[in-house]
Amino acid sequence: MTDEMDLISELKGAEPLRPEAYQRARAVLRAAIAEPGTVRVLGATTTEDTTMGTTPVQDKGFTPAAQRRRKIGPAGRVGIGTGVGVAAAAAIALVITSSSTGGAVPAVAKAPAATSVGTATASAPTAGSPLVTLAARIKADTQSTGDAWLVMSTQVDGTKTMQVIYALYTDSGAIYTGDSVNGIKYAIAHHQDQMSSGGYAPLVKAAILAATSSPAQGRTTMLEAAGDPLVGLSPAAQKKVWDKEQAAAQVIIKEKGGKAKPQPYSARAVQRQSDNRVWAYSTEALSAGDGNTLVRQGVLRLLSTISGVSVAPSTTNGKSTLTITAGPEVFNGDGSEVLTIDAKTGMLVKDVSYTPGIPNAYTTYQSSRVTTAHL
Amino acid sequence: MDSDAELIGRSLKGDVDALVEVLDRHEVAVGSYLARRAGRDAAEDLLGEVWVAAFESRWSYDQSYPDARPWLYGVALNRLRHYWRSRPAEDPVPDMSGLATGWDPWSAVDSGMDTRAVLLPALTRLKPEEREVLRLVAWEDLTVADAARALGMPAGTARRLLHQARTALRTAPGVSALLKDRNNAKEAHR
Repeated sequence: MTDEMDLISELKGAEPLRPEAYQRARAVLRAAIAEPGTVRVLGATTTEDTTMGTTPVQDKGFTPAAQRRRKIGPAGRVGIGTGVGVAAAAAIALVITSSSTGGAVPAVAKAPAATSVGTATASAPTAGSPLVTLAARIKADTQSTGDAWLVMSTQVDGTKTMQVIYALYTDSGAIYTGDSVNGIKYAIAHHQDQMSSGGYAPLVKAAILAATSSPAQGRTTMLEAAGDPLVGLSPAAQKKVWDKEQAAAQVIIKEKGGKAKPQPYSARAVQRQSDNRVWAYSTEALSAGDGNTLVRQGVLRLLSTISGVSVAPSTTNGKSTLTITAGPEVFNGDGSEVLTIDAKTGMLVKDVSYTPGIPNAYTTYQSSRVTTAHL
Repeated sequence: MDSDAELIGRSLKGDVDALVEVLDRHEVAVGSYLARRAGRDAAEDLLGEVWVAAFESRWSYDQSYPDARPWLYGVALNRLRHYWRSRPAEDPVPDMSGLATGWDPWSAVDSGMDTRAVLLPALTRLKPEEREVLRLVAWEDLTVADAARALGMPAGTARRLLHQARTALRTAPGVSALLKDRNNAKEAHR
């Protein structure tokens, strides 16, 4: 016997939520728990609150955050880029008044122009570069309390909190990640050291090597770690790979109805792409290995080699910070990315990605010294 | 296994993971509830807001009830009401009966009759509070008492509303004809 309740029940079907929606909801909750009142129900998160970035995770079904870092590929990019073969390596410094610090300071320092170093072009970090200065300073920095850094990163795309990730960086060099402190404890108990098995380990290790190597070698190592197809090749071999990539890109462009033309090979085009990739891979390594002093040192040195990157002192929540801006030339004239780092430790404070036409993506980082046994 | 009430009690003493465990237990049920009421896309956005609202209002949970699911439906309904109010004027709530769009539930229907078309007008004619009780009982498999908890009303009131809703549906012209056809078809198959 069918009754009216049976009929109503027939209408109960609903399209099931996707698994990532549950994960995102948990991330929103975690963010609210971590900072009550900061997750605004039905509200927008301001760009001042948050930043964009990635942190690798591997256990318990966690996957790395979707990335908004844009790499210049072979698909029809028209870039600016600084010229290969420019011999001068002069730092350009502007003097501006920083309202946040309240005084006239050498506020904007542009990375030196690139110099040609064989097939891997790089700018030589100068002693005056704030990034290199900071890299040298944090090298000597020793922490008196605890035995690890605990970093909580909150990633937001537009107004959606995508995920909250906890990472523990021990002073001995291990990295453990999870979606909570309990997740970190789980990772420790199961020996899931990201440095030995994490997907970002090659980039993190390359950043560590860059802390002590020459700028050119640092760039080469980072590009090799990321599997860049052009690094280390002769110009003739580079051209062959370049042309092949361009041809493959044209197939995709045509399939999508695009009109971008293939970009001819040139040392300048390679340099432009190389700068973009060094930025992308280095900042990925930084967001993955932020709590490791050597990683921060190496990344700062790597970023100092990219023309199109400027550095300015700033103040964030009362703390002295450095703002590192990768301008449009790093992204083929399309958007920018701004890192804010602690001016004393070099640790990430926030990371904002600006891309025309789409909501900003941010990640905020909160760091504290902890004792692993007391977690 | 600890009850939801015990876990919420622990969360009020600082063990926030205890609340997360409660929400993990009910995420599929609450997600489905939201999807039925607002469609999948909106539900995916709303679920995190429901969790935050539950976290912020956990102090109000009556720990004499071991199962938190009815309470979570109540929290979710509040978020849905905010959501519906926030929609732009040119984008009104598309379906007064609260049926989500974008999903075809008809695979379970063995009749050629358009059940949805028959039921929608009848549902629309119900009072909003009658529809809420009806949906919680018919779709979310709550008891009338639990539906009352979710809606913050006395159980007797919920019982009365459900009775009114069922009577109105049963006697609605299209529905009564549909029920007769269904039951006649069943008799014919015996």
